[in-house]
Amino acid sequence: MRRNGPFVIIVVLLVLSVIFALTTGQYHIRLATLWKLLSLRLTGHALGDDLSVPAMVLWSVRMPRVLMAVIAGAALAVGGVVFQGIMRNPLVSPSFLGVTHGAVFGASIAIVFFSKSALSIETSAFFWAIAAVVLVYVIGDRGINSITTLVIAGVIVSTVFMAAGSFLKYIADPYEQLPAITFWTMGGLNNVLWNNVIRALVIISIGITGIWIFRGKLNLMALGDEEALSMGVNVRSARVLFMLFGTLIVAAGSSSCGIIMWVDLIVAHISRLIVGPDHARLVPFACVLGGVFLLLTDTIVRNMPNGEIPISIVTSFIGAPLLGYLLMKQTRQWKE
Amino acid sequence: MQDNEILVIENVDFRYRERKTLSHISFSVRKGEICGLLGPNGSGKTTLLKCINGILSIDAGRIVVQNRDVRGLSREEIAKLIAMVPQELNVVFSFTVIEMVLMAGSVRYGISGIAKKDDYARAREILEELHIEHLAERRYNELSGGEKQMVLIARALFQKAGILLLDEPTSHLDFKRQYVIMELIRKITRQKNLTTVMTLHDPNTAGRYCDRLVMLNDGRICYQGLRDSVFHVESLESIYGMRINMGHTDTGAEYVLPAYEQ
Repeated sequence: MRRNGPFVIIVVLLVLSVIFALTTGQYHIRLATLWKLLSLRLTGHALGDDLSVPAMVLWSVRMPRVLMAVIAGAALAVGGVVFQGIMRNPLVSPSFLGVTHGAVFGASIAIVFFSKSALSIETSAFFWAIAAVVLVYVIGDRGINSITTLVIAGVIVSTVFMAAGSFLKYIADPYEQLPAITFWTMGGLNNVLWNNVIRALVIISIGITGIWIFRGKLNLMALGDEEALSMGVNVRSARVLFMLFGTLIVAAGSSSCGIIMWVDLIVAHISRLIVGPDHARLVPFACVLGGVFLLLTDTIVRNMPNGEIPISIVTSFIGAPLLGYLLMKQTRQWKE
Repeated sequence: MQDNEILVIENVDFRYRERKTLSHISFSVRKGEICGLLGPNGSGKTTLLKCINGILSIDAGRIVVQNRDVRGLSREEIAKLIAMVPQELNVVFSFTVIEMVLMAGSVRYGISGIAKKDDYARAREILEELHIEHLAERRYNELSGGEKQMVLIARALFQKAGILLLDEPTSHLDFKRQYVIMELIRKITRQKNLTTVMTLHDPNTAGRYCDRLVMLNDGRICYQGLRDSVFHVESLESIYGMRINMGHTDTGAEYVLPAYEQ
Protein backbone atom coordinates (compact mmCIF):
# COMPACT_ATOMS: atom_id res chain seq x y z
CA MET A 1 0.00 0.00 0.00
CA ARG A 2 2.87 2.36 0.92
CA ARG A 3 4.34 1.93 -2.56
CA ASN A 4 1.01 2.43 -4.32
CA GLY A 5 -0.23 5.14 -1.95
CA PRO A 6 0.79 8.09 -4.17
CA PHE A 7 -1.03 6.54 -7.14
CA VAL A 8 -4.26 6.03 -5.19
CA ILE A 9 -4.12 9.59 -3.86
CA ILE A 10 -3.44 11.16 -7.25
CA VAL A 11 -6.22 9.21 -8.99
CA VAL A 12 -8.70 10.23 -6.27
CA LEU A 13 -7.47 13.81 -6.65
CA LEU A 14 -8.05 13.61 -10.40
CA VAL A 15 -11.63 12.40 -9.96
CA LEU A 16 -12.38 15.13 -7.38
CA SER A 17 -10.74 17.79 -9.59
CA VAL A 18 -12.82 16.74 -12.59
CA ILE A 19 -16.04 16.90 -10.54
CA PHE A 20 -15.03 20.27 -9.10
CA ALA A 21 -14.12 21.67 -12.55
CA LEU A 22 -17.34 20.40 -14.16
CA THR A 23 -19.56 21.96 -11.51
CA THR A 24 -17.70 25.25 -11.02
CA GLY A 25 -17.86 28.26 -13.29
CA GLN A 26 -19.90 31.30 -14.21
CA TYR A 27 -22.86 28.96 -14.60
CA HIS A 28 -22.87 26.73 -11.52
CA ILE A 29 -23.97 23.14 -12.05
CA ARG A 30 -25.09 21.41 -8.89
CA LEU A 31 -23.63 18.01 -8.07
CA ALA A 32 -27.04 16.32 -8.32
CA THR A 33 -27.62 17.92 -11.73
CA LEU A 34 -24.22 16.76 -12.93
CA TRP A 35 -25.00 13.23 -11.80
CA LYS A 36 -28.39 13.35 -13.53
CA LEU A 37 -26.91 14.68 -16.79
CA LEU A 38 -24.20 11.99 -16.82
CA SER A 39 -26.75 9.24 -16.08
CA LEU A 40 -29.10 10.44 -18.80
CA ARG A 41 -26.26 10.54 -21.33
CA LEU A 42 -25.11 7.03 -20.37
CA THR A 43 -28.60 5.52 -20.45
CA GLY A 44 -29.63 7.44 -23.59
CA HIS A 45 -32.78 8.93 -22.05
CA ALA A 46 -34.19 12.26 -23.22
CA LEU A 47 -33.56 15.47 -21.25
CA GLY A 48 -36.32 17.44 -19.60
CA ASP A 49 -36.67 21.17 -20.45
CA ASP A 50 -35.31 22.14 -17.04
CA LEU A 51 -31.99 20.47 -17.91
CA SER A 52 -31.44 21.95 -21.35
CA VAL A 53 -29.28 24.88 -20.19
CA PRO A 54 -26.98 22.92 -17.82
CA ALA A 55 -26.75 20.16 -20.45
CA MET A 56 -25.66 22.67 -23.06
CA VAL A 57 -23.06 24.19 -20.67
CA LEU A 58 -21.78 20.77 -19.64
CA TRP A 59 -21.55 19.00 -23.01
CA SER A 60 -20.69 21.89 -25.32
CA VAL A 61 -18.43 24.04 -23.14
CA ARG A 62 -17.25 22.57 -19.90
CA MET A 63 -16.70 18.88 -20.65
CA PRO A 64 -14.42 19.42 -23.72
CA ARG A 65 -12.48 22.05 -21.82
CA VAL A 66 -12.04 19.86 -18.75
CA LEU A 67 -10.99 16.86 -20.84
CA MET A 68 -8.59 18.99 -22.85
CA ALA A 69 -6.98 20.33 -19.67
CA VAL A 70 -6.46 16.80 -18.38
CA ILE A 71 -5.13 15.50 -21.72
CA ALA A 72 -2.85 18.49 -22.40
CA GLY A 73 -1.57 18.51 -18.81
CA ALA A 74 -0.76 14.81 -19.06
CA ALA A 75 1.00 15.34 -22.39
CA LEU A 76 3.12 18.26 -21.17
CA ALA A 77 4.09 16.45 -17.96
CA VAL A 78 5.05 13.20 -19.70
CA GLY A 79 6.91 15.26 -22.33
CA GLY A 80 8.88 16.89 -19.50
CA VAL A 81 9.66 13.47 -17.97
CA VAL A 82 10.87 12.10 -21.31
CA PHE A 83 13.07 15.06 -22.23
CA GLN A 84 14.52 15.28 -18.72
CA GLY A 85 15.24 11.53 -18.88
CA ILE A 86 16.99 11.45 -22.24
CA MET A 87 18.85 14.71 -21.53
CA ARG A 88 19.69 13.53 -18.00
CA ASN A 89 18.81 16.88 -16.52
CA PRO A 90 15.90 17.58 -14.15
CA LEU A 91 15.78 21.21 -15.28
CA VAL A 92 15.25 20.50 -18.95
CA SER A 93 11.89 20.99 -20.62
CA PRO A 94 10.81 20.28 -24.20
CA SER A 95 11.27 23.98 -24.99
CA PHE A 96 15.02 23.40 -24.73
CA LEU A 97 14.81 21.52 -28.00
CA GLY A 98 12.82 24.16 -29.84
CA VAL A 99 9.29 22.76 -29.44
CA THR A 100 7.85 25.96 -27.95
CA HIS A 101 9.39 28.48 -30.36
CA GLY A 102 8.60 26.20 -33.30
CA ALA A 103 4.95 26.07 -32.22
CA VAL A 104 4.77 29.86 -31.68
CA PHE A 105 6.25 30.43 -35.14
CA GLY A 106 3.79 27.97 -36.69
CA ALA A 107 0.79 29.58 -34.97
CA SER A 108 2.01 33.06 -35.99
CA ILE A 109 2.32 32.02 -39.65
CA ALA A 110 -1.25 30.71 -39.58
CA ILE A 111 -2.56 33.88 -37.90
CA VAL A 112 -0.72 36.28 -40.23
CA PHE A 113 -0.94 34.49 -43.59
CA PHE A 114 -3.72 31.95 -43.45
CA SER A 115 -7.32 31.68 -42.38
CA LYS A 116 -6.71 32.25 -38.65
CA SER A 117 -9.10 29.40 -38.02
CA ALA A 118 -8.44 27.24 -34.96
CA LEU A 119 -7.68 24.26 -37.18
CA SER A 120 -5.09 26.07 -39.28
CA ILE A 121 -3.37 27.51 -36.18
CA GLU A 122 -3.36 24.12 -34.48
CA THR A 123 -2.04 22.28 -37.54
CA SER A 124 0.64 24.84 -38.33
CA ALA A 125 1.82 25.01 -34.68
CA PHE A 126 1.96 21.21 -34.51
CA PHE A 127 4.04 20.77 -37.66
CA TRP A 128 6.44 23.64 -36.97
CA ALA A 129 7.03 22.35 -33.43
CA ILE A 130 8.02 18.98 -34.87
CA ALA A 131 10.09 20.64 -37.62
CA ALA A 132 12.04 22.60 -34.99
CA VAL A 133 12.97 19.42 -33.10
CA VAL A 134 13.92 17.61 -36.32
CA LEU A 135 16.19 20.54 -37.16
CA VAL A 136 17.73 20.42 -33.67
CA TYR A 137 18.42 16.72 -34.11
CA VAL A 138 19.97 17.16 -37.57
CA ILE A 139 22.28 19.92 -36.29
CA GLY A 140 23.08 18.49 -32.84
CA ASP A 141 23.33 14.73 -33.26
CA ARG A 142 26.84 13.36 -33.21
CA GLY A 143 26.26 9.79 -32.12
CA ILE A 144 26.72 8.95 -28.46
CA ASN A 145 27.30 11.66 -25.85
CA SER A 146 25.33 14.22 -27.89
CA ILE A 147 23.49 15.88 -25.01
CA THR A 148 25.54 19.09 -25.00
CA THR A 149 25.46 19.50 -28.78
CA LEU A 150 21.71 18.86 -28.83
CA VAL A 151 21.14 21.55 -26.19
CA ILE A 152 23.32 24.01 -28.14
CA ALA A 153 21.45 23.13 -31.34
CA GLY A 154 18.20 23.70 -29.38
CA VAL A 155 19.35 27.19 -28.39
CA ILE A 156 20.33 27.96 -32.02
CA VAL A 157 17.06 26.72 -33.52
CA SER A 158 14.95 28.37 -30.79
CA THR A 159 16.72 31.68 -31.39
CA VAL A 160 16.08 31.52 -35.14
CA PHE A 161 12.41 30.64 -34.64
CA MET A 162 12.09 33.35 -31.99
CA ALA A 163 13.52 35.92 -34.41
CA ALA A 164 11.22 34.72 -37.18
CA GLY A 165 8.27 34.85 -34.76
CA SER A 166 9.20 38.41 -33.75
CA PHE A 167 9.36 39.40 -37.41
CA LEU A 168 5.86 38.00 -37.94
CA LYS A 169 4.63 40.00 -34.94
CA TYR A 170 6.27 43.11 -36.40
CA ILE A 171 4.46 42.76 -39.72
CA ALA A 172 1.19 41.56 -38.17
CA ASP A 173 -1.91 43.74 -38.20
CA PRO A 174 -1.77 45.43 -34.75
CA TYR A 175 -5.55 45.36 -34.23
CA GLU A 176 -6.38 41.73 -34.94
CA GLN A 177 -3.36 39.57 -35.73
CA LEU A 178 -0.92 40.86 -33.09
CA PRO A 179 -3.31 40.39 -30.14
CA ALA A 180 -4.21 36.94 -31.50
CA ILE A 181 -0.52 35.92 -31.55
CA THR A 182 0.09 37.40 -28.11
CA PHE A 183 -2.89 35.62 -26.55
CA TRP A 184 -1.95 32.33 -28.22
CA THR A 185 1.56 32.50 -26.73
CA MET A 186 0.07 32.93 -23.25
CA GLY A 187 -2.03 29.81 -23.57
CA GLY A 188 -5.67 29.18 -22.91
CA LEU A 189 -8.36 26.56 -23.17
CA ASN A 190 -11.26 28.92 -23.78
CA ASN A 191 -11.72 27.98 -27.45
CA VAL A 192 -11.55 24.23 -27.06
CA LEU A 193 -14.11 22.20 -28.99
CA TRP A 194 -14.79 18.49 -29.15
CA ASN A 195 -12.82 18.24 -32.42
CA ASN A 196 -9.70 19.60 -30.69
CA VAL A 197 -10.16 17.13 -27.85
CA ILE A 198 -10.49 14.14 -30.16
CA ARG A 199 -7.48 15.14 -32.30
CA ALA A 200 -5.31 15.75 -29.24
CA LEU A 201 -6.54 12.58 -27.54
CA VAL A 202 -5.60 10.40 -30.52
CA ILE A 203 -2.10 11.85 -30.98
CA ILE A 204 -1.29 12.08 -27.26
CA SER A 205 -2.54 8.53 -26.62
CA ILE A 206 -0.25 7.20 -29.36
CA GLY A 207 2.72 9.15 -27.97
CA ILE A 208 2.21 8.23 -24.32
CA THR A 209 1.57 4.56 -25.22
CA GLY A 210 4.85 4.52 -27.18
CA ILE A 211 6.73 5.98 -24.24
CA TRP A 212 5.06 3.54 -21.85
CA ILE A 213 6.02 0.54 -24.01
CA PHE A 214 9.69 1.48 -23.94
CA ARG A 215 9.79 2.81 -20.37
CA GLY A 216 12.59 0.43 -19.31
CA LYS A 217 14.87 1.79 -22.00
CA LEU A 218 14.16 5.30 -20.75
CA ASN A 219 15.61 4.26 -17.38
CA LEU A 220 18.82 3.12 -19.06
CA MET A 221 19.01 6.31 -21.16
CA ALA A 222 18.76 8.30 -17.93
CA LEU A 223 21.97 6.64 -16.67
CA GLY A 224 24.08 7.86 -19.59
CA ASP A 225 24.81 6.94 -23.18
CA GLU A 226 27.70 4.58 -22.48
CA GLU A 227 25.80 2.88 -19.69
CA ALA A 228 22.78 2.40 -21.94
CA LEU A 229 24.98 1.02 -24.73
CA SER A 230 26.68 -1.41 -22.34
CA MET A 231 23.29 -2.72 -21.26
CA GLY A 232 22.03 -3.36 -24.75
CA VAL A 233 20.31 -0.13 -25.84
CA ASN A 234 20.90 1.25 -29.31
CA VAL A 235 21.24 4.78 -27.98
CA ARG A 236 20.79 6.67 -31.25
CA SER A 237 17.60 4.84 -32.20
CA ALA A 238 16.23 5.10 -28.66
CA ARG A 239 16.94 8.83 -28.53
CA VAL A 240 15.18 9.40 -31.85
CA LEU A 241 12.24 7.31 -30.68
CA PHE A 242 11.81 9.18 -27.38
CA MET A 243 12.32 12.58 -29.01
CA LEU A 244 9.70 11.65 -31.59
CA PHE A 245 7.10 10.52 -29.04
CA GLY A 246 7.95 13.38 -26.65
CA THR A 247 7.71 16.00 -29.37
CA LEU A 248 4.51 14.49 -30.72
CA ILE A 249 2.66 14.77 -27.40
CA VAL A 250 4.02 18.19 -26.44
CA ALA A 251 3.30 19.57 -29.93
CA ALA A 252 -0.23 18.14 -29.80
CA GLY A 253 -0.80 19.67 -26.34
CA SER A 254 0.69 23.06 -27.22
CA SER A 255 -0.99 23.37 -30.61
CA SER A 256 -4.42 22.87 -29.03
CA CYS A 257 -3.99 25.19 -26.04
CA GLY A 258 -1.22 27.60 -26.96
CA ILE A 259 1.98 27.84 -24.96
CA ILE A 260 1.47 26.74 -21.38
CA MET A 261 4.62 27.39 -19.39
CA TRP A 262 6.11 25.38 -16.53
CA VAL A 263 3.75 22.38 -16.49
CA ASP A 264 6.30 20.10 -18.20
CA LEU A 265 9.19 21.10 -16.00
CA ILE A 266 7.51 21.41 -12.63
CA VAL A 267 5.22 18.36 -12.79
CA ALA A 268 8.05 16.08 -13.96
CA HIS A 269 10.23 17.36 -11.13
CA ILE A 270 7.58 17.01 -8.41
CA SER A 271 6.59 13.55 -9.67
CA ARG A 272 10.20 12.39 -9.45
CA LEU A 273 10.40 13.65 -5.87
CA ILE A 274 7.26 11.69 -4.95
CA VAL A 275 7.63 8.34 -6.77
CA GLY A 276 11.35 8.30 -7.61
CA PRO A 277 13.13 8.20 -10.97
CA ASP A 278 12.00 4.73 -12.16
CA HIS A 279 10.04 5.52 -15.34
CA ALA A 280 7.72 2.56 -14.83
CA ARG A 281 6.24 4.56 -11.92
CA LEU A 282 7.22 8.05 -12.99
CA VAL A 283 5.46 8.12 -16.40
CA PRO A 284 1.97 7.14 -15.14
CA PHE A 285 2.23 9.32 -12.04
CA ALA A 286 3.36 12.41 -13.97
CA CYS A 287 0.63 11.72 -16.53
CA VAL A 288 -2.11 11.97 -13.88
CA LEU A 289 -0.47 14.76 -11.86
CA GLY A 290 -0.02 16.82 -15.05
CA GLY A 291 -3.74 16.42 -15.77
CA VAL A 292 -4.69 17.46 -12.23
CA PHE A 293 -2.29 20.43 -12.23
CA LEU A 294 -3.50 21.89 -15.52
CA LEU A 295 -7.16 21.22 -14.75
CA LEU A 296 -7.00 22.99 -11.38
CA THR A 297 -5.02 25.87 -12.89
CA ASP A 298 -7.56 26.22 -15.70
CA THR A 299 -10.40 26.15 -13.17
CA ILE A 300 -8.73 29.01 -11.26
CA VAL A 301 -8.15 30.92 -14.51
CA ARG A 302 -11.76 30.79 -15.66
CA ASN A 303 -13.13 31.66 -12.24
CA MET A 304 -11.11 34.85 -11.74
CA PRO A 305 -13.37 37.63 -10.37
CA ASN A 306 -12.56 40.02 -13.23
CA GLY A 307 -12.84 37.44 -16.00
CA GLU A 308 -10.58 34.83 -17.50
CA ILE A 309 -6.85 35.45 -17.84
CA PRO A 310 -4.25 33.56 -19.96
CA ILE A 311 -3.31 30.31 -18.25
CA SER A 312 0.49 30.69 -18.53
CA ILE A 313 0.33 33.65 -16.15
CA VAL A 314 -1.04 31.41 -13.41
CA THR A 315 1.11 28.33 -14.22
CA SER A 316 4.19 30.58 -14.09
CA PHE A 317 3.10 32.19 -10.79
CA ILE A 318 2.58 28.74 -9.26
CA GLY A 319 5.39 26.89 -11.04
CA ALA A 320 8.38 29.19 -10.58
CA PRO A 321 7.99 29.78 -6.79
CA LEU A 322 7.22 26.08 -6.29
CA LEU A 323 10.44 25.09 -8.05
CA GLY A 324 12.32 27.70 -6.02
CA TYR A 325 10.89 26.24 -2.81
CA LEU A 326 11.84 22.69 -3.83
CA LEU A 327 15.33 23.84 -4.76
CA MET A 328 15.79 25.57 -1.39
CA LYS A 329 14.49 22.50 0.42
CA GLN A 330 16.88 20.25 -1.49
CA THR A 331 19.83 22.58 -0.90
CA ARG A 332 19.03 22.63 2.82
CA GLN A 333 19.02 18.81 2.86
CA TRP A 334 22.44 18.73 1.17
CA LYS A 335 23.83 21.16 3.77
CA GLU A 336 22.53 18.96 6.59
CA MET B 1 42.34 -19.33 -32.60
CA GLN B 2 42.42 -21.91 -29.82
CA ASP B 3 39.30 -23.55 -28.47
CA ASN B 4 39.33 -21.95 -25.04
CA GLU B 5 40.15 -18.45 -26.29
CA ILE B 6 37.01 -16.52 -25.49
CA LEU B 7 38.26 -13.08 -26.48
CA VAL B 8 40.58 -12.50 -29.42
CA ILE B 9 41.83 -9.08 -30.44
CA GLU B 10 43.51 -8.99 -33.83
CA ASN B 11 45.53 -6.08 -35.15
CA VAL B 12 43.17 -3.44 -33.81
CA ASP B 13 43.67 0.23 -34.66
CA PHE B 14 41.59 3.06 -33.26
CA ARG B 15 41.85 6.77 -34.03
CA TYR B 16 40.32 9.52 -31.92
CA ARG B 17 39.92 12.36 -34.42
CA GLU B 18 43.38 12.50 -36.04
CA ARG B 19 45.27 10.91 -33.17
CA LYS B 20 45.97 7.20 -33.35
CA THR B 21 45.03 5.99 -29.87
CA LEU B 22 45.48 2.26 -30.43
CA SER B 23 47.88 0.73 -32.90
CA HIS B 24 48.20 -2.92 -33.98
CA ILE B 25 46.75 -4.34 -30.78
CA SER B 26 46.66 -8.14 -30.77
CA PHE B 27 46.17 -10.49 -27.85
CA SER B 28 43.77 -13.13 -26.64
CA VAL B 29 42.23 -14.15 -23.34
CA ARG B 30 41.18 -17.65 -22.34
CA LYS B 31 38.02 -18.62 -20.50
CA GLY B 32 38.35 -18.23 -16.74
CA GLU B 33 41.37 -15.94 -16.90
CA ILE B 34 41.84 -12.55 -15.30
CA CYS B 35 43.64 -10.31 -17.77
CA GLY B 36 45.10 -7.01 -16.62
CA LEU B 37 45.72 -4.06 -18.92
CA LEU B 38 48.62 -2.12 -17.45
CA GLY B 39 50.18 1.13 -18.57
CA PRO B 40 50.60 4.81 -17.78
CA ASN B 41 47.82 7.41 -18.17
CA GLY B 42 46.86 7.93 -21.80
CA SER B 43 48.29 4.61 -22.94
CA GLY B 44 44.91 3.52 -24.35
CA LYS B 45 43.69 1.07 -21.68
CA THR B 46 40.19 2.48 -21.26
CA THR B 47 39.85 3.07 -25.00
CA LEU B 48 40.68 -0.58 -25.58
CA LEU B 49 37.99 -1.69 -23.10
CA LYS B 50 35.42 0.52 -24.87
CA CYS B 51 36.47 -0.96 -28.23
CA ILE B 52 36.03 -4.49 -26.88
CA ASN B 53 32.56 -3.56 -25.65
CA GLY B 54 31.70 -1.97 -29.02
CA ILE B 55 31.11 1.47 -27.48
CA LEU B 56 33.87 2.77 -29.75
CA SER B 57 34.13 1.51 -33.32
CA ILE B 58 37.57 0.30 -34.30
CA ASP B 59 39.20 1.54 -37.52
CA ALA B 60 41.03 -1.66 -38.42
CA GLY B 61 41.42 -5.24 -37.24
CA ARG B 62 38.76 -7.25 -35.47
CA ILE B 63 37.57 -8.19 -32.01
CA VAL B 64 36.14 -11.67 -31.66
CA VAL B 65 34.05 -12.65 -28.63
CA GLN B 66 33.06 -16.30 -28.37
CA ASN B 67 33.83 -16.76 -32.07
CA ARG B 68 31.68 -13.79 -33.11
CA ASP B 69 32.99 -10.52 -34.52
CA VAL B 70 31.78 -7.69 -32.27
CA ARG B 71 31.12 -5.44 -35.30
CA GLY B 72 28.50 -7.87 -36.57
CA LEU B 73 26.59 -7.96 -33.29
CA SER B 74 23.66 -5.81 -32.18
CA ARG B 75 23.87 -3.91 -28.89
CA GLU B 76 21.59 -6.48 -27.26
CA GLU B 77 23.80 -9.36 -28.40
CA ILE B 78 26.92 -7.61 -27.08
CA ALA B 79 25.20 -6.98 -23.74
CA LYS B 80 24.47 -10.69 -23.43
CA LEU B 81 28.17 -11.50 -23.93
CA ILE B 82 29.97 -8.62 -22.21
CA ALA B 83 29.26 -6.67 -19.02
CA MET B 84 31.14 -3.51 -18.19
CA VAL B 85 31.94 -1.92 -14.84
CA PRO B 86 32.89 1.73 -15.36
CA GLN B 87 35.59 3.44 -13.36
CA GLU B 88 33.05 5.68 -11.70
CA LEU B 89 29.34 6.17 -12.27
CA ASN B 90 27.56 9.26 -11.06
CA VAL B 91 23.91 9.29 -11.97
CA VAL B 92 21.73 12.40 -12.10
CA PHE B 93 18.54 10.66 -11.02
CA SER B 94 18.90 8.81 -7.77
CA PHE B 95 17.74 5.26 -8.48
CA THR B 96 17.75 2.75 -5.63
CA VAL B 97 20.38 0.02 -5.58
CA ILE B 98 17.88 -2.70 -6.45
CA GLU B 99 16.62 -0.62 -9.39
CA MET B 100 20.20 -0.13 -10.61
CA VAL B 101 20.90 -3.86 -10.47
CA LEU B 102 17.62 -4.81 -12.15
CA MET B 103 18.28 -2.47 -15.06
CA ALA B 104 21.27 -4.62 -16.06
CA GLY B 105 18.94 -7.46 -16.98
CA SER B 106 16.84 -5.39 -19.37
CA VAL B 107 18.01 -7.32 -22.45
CA ARG B 108 16.20 -10.33 -21.03
CA TYR B 109 12.96 -8.56 -20.17
CA GLY B 110 11.54 -8.10 -23.66
CA ILE B 111 10.42 -4.88 -25.31
CA SER B 112 9.36 -2.99 -22.16
CA GLY B 113 12.70 -3.58 -20.47
CA ILE B 114 10.91 -3.93 -17.13
CA ALA B 115 11.82 -6.63 -14.60
CA LYS B 116 9.43 -9.32 -13.46
CA LYS B 117 8.92 -10.73 -9.97
CA ASP B 118 11.51 -13.50 -10.43
CA ASP B 119 14.10 -10.96 -11.48
CA TYR B 120 13.68 -9.11 -8.17
CA ALA B 121 14.41 -12.32 -6.29
CA ARG B 122 17.50 -13.03 -8.41
CA ALA B 123 18.79 -9.48 -8.00
CA ARG B 124 18.44 -9.80 -4.23
CA GLU B 125 20.31 -13.11 -4.34
CA ILE B 126 23.25 -11.40 -6.04
CA LEU B 127 23.23 -8.61 -3.48
CA GLU B 128 23.28 -11.26 -0.73
CA GLU B 129 26.13 -13.05 -2.46
CA LEU B 130 28.18 -9.85 -2.35
CA HIS B 131 26.98 -9.14 1.25
CA ILE B 132 25.35 -5.84 0.28
CA GLU B 133 21.69 -6.86 0.60
CA HIS B 134 21.26 -4.16 3.27
CA LEU B 135 21.85 -1.55 0.55
CA ALA B 136 18.98 -2.73 -1.67
CA GLU B 137 16.57 0.14 -0.95
CA ARG B 138 19.24 2.81 -0.47
CA ARG B 139 19.69 5.52 -3.12
CA TYR B 140 22.76 4.78 -5.24
CA ASN B 141 23.90 8.43 -5.06
CA GLU B 142 24.05 8.28 -1.27
CA LEU B 143 26.54 5.39 -1.16
CA SER B 144 30.27 5.58 -0.48
CA GLY B 145 32.77 4.95 -3.30
CA GLY B 146 33.38 1.37 -2.17
CA GLU B 147 29.66 0.60 -1.86
CA LYS B 148 29.05 2.05 -5.32
CA GLN B 149 31.76 -0.16 -6.76
CA MET B 150 30.16 -3.23 -5.14
CA VAL B 151 26.80 -2.27 -6.62
CA LEU B 152 28.32 -1.86 -10.09
CA ILE B 153 29.90 -5.31 -9.79
CA ALA B 154 26.56 -6.77 -8.63
CA ARG B 155 24.93 -5.12 -11.62
CA ALA B 156 27.51 -6.62 -14.01
CA LEU B 157 26.92 -10.07 -12.50
CA PHE B 158 23.16 -9.66 -12.89
CA GLN B 159 23.73 -8.97 -16.58
CA LYS B 160 24.81 -12.63 -16.79
CA ALA B 161 27.50 -12.07 -19.43
CA GLY B 162 30.50 -14.38 -19.70
CA ILE B 163 33.02 -11.58 -20.03
CA LEU B 164 33.49 -8.91 -17.40
CA LEU B 165 35.27 -5.68 -18.30
CA LEU B 166 36.35 -3.47 -15.40
CA ASP B 167 37.82 -0.02 -15.80
CA GLU B 168 40.12 0.82 -12.88
CA PRO B 169 37.94 -1.01 -10.34
CA THR B 170 39.97 0.25 -7.36
CA SER B 171 40.93 3.75 -8.43
CA HIS B 172 38.78 5.67 -5.92
CA LEU B 173 39.00 3.25 -3.05
CA ASP B 174 40.93 3.22 0.20
CA PHE B 175 43.56 0.59 0.96
CA LYS B 176 41.21 -1.90 2.57
CA ARG B 177 38.45 -1.46 0.00
CA GLN B 178 40.96 -2.05 -2.81
CA TYR B 179 41.80 -5.39 -1.25
CA VAL B 180 38.15 -6.32 -0.66
CA ILE B 181 37.12 -5.48 -4.23
CA MET B 182 40.04 -7.29 -5.85
CA GLU B 183 39.48 -10.42 -3.73
CA LEU B 184 35.83 -10.29 -4.75
CA ILE B 185 36.70 -9.99 -8.45
CA ARG B 186 39.01 -12.97 -8.20
CA LYS B 187 36.43 -15.00 -6.30
CA ILE B 188 33.54 -14.37 -8.70
CA THR B 189 35.75 -14.94 -11.75
CA ARG B 190 36.76 -18.36 -10.43
CA GLN B 191 33.38 -19.37 -8.98
CA LYS B 192 31.31 -18.36 -12.00
CA ASN B 193 33.97 -19.29 -14.54
CA LEU B 194 33.92 -15.79 -16.00
CA THR B 195 36.60 -14.13 -18.07
CA THR B 196 37.71 -10.81 -16.63
CA VAL B 197 39.60 -8.04 -18.36
CA MET B 198 40.47 -4.98 -16.31
CA THR B 199 42.54 -1.87 -16.56
CA LEU B 200 44.75 -1.21 -13.57
CA HIS B 201 47.02 1.58 -12.41
CA ASP B 202 48.81 -0.29 -9.68
CA PRO B 203 51.33 -2.88 -10.94
CA ASN B 204 51.27 -4.62 -7.55
CA THR B 205 47.52 -5.24 -7.84
CA ALA B 206 48.04 -6.46 -11.40
CA GLY B 207 50.89 -8.72 -10.34
CA ARG B 208 48.90 -10.18 -7.48
CA TYR B 209 45.53 -10.81 -9.13
CA CYS B 210 46.02 -11.22 -12.89
CA ASP B 211 46.72 -14.45 -14.75
CA ARG B 212 47.65 -12.59 -17.89
CA LEU B 213 49.03 -9.11 -18.46
CA VAL B 214 48.97 -6.79 -21.43
CA MET B 215 51.30 -3.81 -20.99
CA LEU B 216 50.54 -0.78 -23.10
CA ASN B 217 52.36 2.42 -23.81
CA ASP B 218 51.31 5.13 -26.23
CA GLY B 219 48.61 2.95 -27.77
CA ARG B 220 50.89 0.00 -28.50
CA ILE B 221 51.44 -3.30 -26.72
CA CYS B 222 54.96 -3.41 -25.27
CA TYR B 223 54.71 -6.71 -23.39
CA GLN B 224 52.07 -9.37 -23.09
CA GLY B 225 51.72 -12.90 -21.85
CA LEU B 226 51.10 -14.91 -18.72
CA ARG B 227 51.76 -12.98 -15.55
CA ASP B 228 55.04 -14.70 -14.64
CA SER B 229 56.56 -14.20 -18.08
CA VAL B 230 56.02 -10.43 -18.25
CA PHE B 231 55.86 -9.14 -14.67
CA HIS B 232 59.46 -8.12 -14.23
CA VAL B 233 61.45 -4.99 -13.56
CA GLU B 234 62.53 -4.40 -17.17
CA SER B 235 58.99 -4.49 -18.58
CA LEU B 236 57.62 -2.19 -15.85
CA GLU B 237 60.52 0.25 -16.16
CA SER B 238 60.01 0.31 -19.89
CA ILE B 239 56.28 1.15 -19.87
CA TYR B 240 56.36 3.61 -16.96
CA GLY B 241 59.69 5.21 -17.95
CA MET B 242 61.13 5.12 -14.42
CA ARG B 243 63.49 3.09 -12.26
CA ILE B 244 61.72 0.36 -10.33
CA ASN B 245 62.87 -2.01 -7.58
CA MET B 246 61.31 -5.41 -7.06
CA GLY B 247 61.19 -7.12 -3.68
CA HIS B 248 59.62 -10.17 -2.10
CA THR B 249 57.30 -10.45 0.88
CA ASP B 250 57.74 -13.04 3.64
CA THR B 251 55.45 -15.35 1.72
CA GLY B 252 57.52 -14.96 -1.44
CA ALA B 253 55.09 -12.74 -3.34
CA GLU B 254 56.71 -10.13 -5.55
CA TYR B 255 56.10 -6.42 -5.11
CA VAL B 256 57.47 -3.38 -6.87
CA LEU B 257 58.35 0.10 -5.64
CA PRO B 258 59.74 3.16 -7.38
CA ALA B 259 63.53 3.31 -6.98
CA TYR B 260 63.79 6.48 -4.88
CA GLU B 261 66.89 8.62 -5.37
CA GLN B 262 68.88 8.88 -2.11
